[in-house]
Amino acid sequence: MAAKILIIEDEAVIRRELKILLENAMYEAVALAEFQHIMLQVREQSPDLILLDINLPECSGFDLCTQIREETDVPVIFLTSRTDSMDELNGILRGGDDYITKPYQAPVLLARIGAVLKRTGGGQKKQTDVTKFVCSGVELDVAGCMLTCQDKQAELTKAEMKILYQLFRHPGEYISRMDLIEYLWENKIFIDDNTLSVHVARIREKLKAIGVEELIVTKRGIGYRV
Amino acid sequence: MRMSALAFLKDRVLLIVFHLACMGMLSAFLRLTGYGGADLTIILIFWAIILCAWLTVTYMGRKRYFEESRKILDQVDERYLLGELLPASAGLEDRLYRDMIRQSNKSVIERIRRIETSEKEYREYIENWVHEVKAPITGISLLCENGRKPEPAMAAAPEAREILRDISVENQKIENYVDMALYYARSENVYKDFVIRKTNLQKIVEEILEKNRLLLIGNGVRAQVDCPDPVYTDGKWIAFIVNQLFLNCVKYRSAQPVFLVRTKREKDGVCLTVEDNGVGIRSEELSRIFEKGFTGSNGRDHERATGMGLYLCRRLCEKLGVGLLAESEYGRGTRMTLQFPISTYIDREQED
Repeated sequence: MAAKILIIEDEAVIRRELKILLENAMYEAVALAEFQHIMLQVREQSPDLILLDINLPECSGFDLCTQIREETDVPVIFLTSRTDSMDELNGILRGGDDYITKPYQAPVLLARIGAVLKRTGGGQKKQTDVTKFVCSGVELDVAGCMLTCQDKQAELTKAEMKILYQLFRHPGEYISRMDLIEYLWENKIFIDDNTLSVHVARIREKLKAIGVEELIVTKRGIGYRV
Repeated sequence: MRMSALAFLKDRVLLIVFHLACMGMLSAFLRLTGYGGADLTIILIFWAIILCAWLTVTYMGRKRYFEESRKILDQVDERYLLGELLPASAGLEDRLYRDMIRQSNKSVIERIRRIETSEKEYREYIENWVHEVKAPITGISLLCENGRKPEPAMAAAPEAREILRDISVENQKIENYVDMALYYARSENVYKDFVIRKTNLQKIVEEILEKNRLLLIGNGVRAQVDCPDPVYTDGKWIAFIVNQLFLNCVKYRSAQPVFLVRTKREKDGVCLTVEDNGVGIRSEELSRIFEKGFTGSNGRDHERATGMGLYLCRRLCEKLGVGLLAESEYGRGTRMTLQFPISTYIDREQED
């Protein structure tokens, strides 16, 4: 079952887009549309995690967090455009689990949500992270950083693994070089276009070594696919 | 200006001349009325002694009074409070002057207060404005992200994704400029918003690179981050400074930009270096890059420079007690170094 995340945010656009972002990340997202009886709605929804804006109409997110804490231990992440250290401290003292300042980066936000959920153990995130992929008889073991074909194995570096992971997740589809590079940057591998080519060449060598040829197809000007 | 005996006498020259004239007239009168020379001499000697004694006492009194005033003036920071601090004096003139100085000071102080208040209000307004403008920036960022991202299968048309990417990059630029305004407004009062904690530089640097990823990828940047040494500082301010350094690296990049970010443990601290292979800085300009408004030949030849980024970095570093050094070889690259001191008690804590 996907973790249920309650969004308490008064900016309509941010609320809507946050919901889409979280749903794309395979969470169940619920956004509050009115802020009169928040506690009632929190009780009703009983979420696994709450994203809480600090500047709400009617009341402050800090006070709300105190109220929530009186009833439940559900993890709370503050979202705010304030960057004062005092505010951050206040948030933690009121029982918040994390504090993220706007404008937040989608990957960072998702990573923090993941971290809080993991730490608090609340609501198991749906196991969408399959650790093994098979494509044309080649098996990619994400957890072990291994490529296997029949009985031959090749070890992969982190960057190579991430590239293959992205390709194996979408078999038959071309993934543009730009998207691959961006995906790698989001995973803390900061490479440029040439380095990507080098990595792909190394992967091809490794594939060749385990007897696989032409698994990765290059389409000039578009990208790669498996 | 100090008080000297000569100057004091010069100031009273009229009085002395008047006394000498009176002495002369008295001598002439006594001579004519037939008094003896001895009587006259005794009278003149006594007169002179009394006059000298009076002058000396007055001189000493005045000297003490002004020396004391000078000392007070030298000791206080708020010199404009002199009117309140002047030593009490029985002299009429002193009291009159004191009263006038006090009034003049009062008007200065009122004026300063007014300026301070309006400056504070303006600063608060800027801070609030920045926080307000961050909501729409977040909105745009999420809109672009959602439009661009969701799994390639559902992705928008390539042209649309291209446009959304460009909008994202521009939005990121806005965010960077807005942050600059915020930190400039705050730079005066760093201490109010400063929490020293054990800070993981690796994480901070990675988050900055990730934040600017579209801008950096678009410029073909490659980066290596190796910052295992923790430091004790306020992460938020350091993130702003490092962000500025990266933006400069992008602005003055070479054809194949490479950024190296490393930490090095030294005897009395940890150094964070941000190194690039960009156009570098001319040696004759190197000493001036931290000046406010300095753009240099690079700033004119490349993208427009504001001359604010490095100035702000230096200013914040000073407030945070972090050293900031620039080294460069023109045409080869630049290395910026942040030096974090380690105080002895923190060392001890680490050993525990």
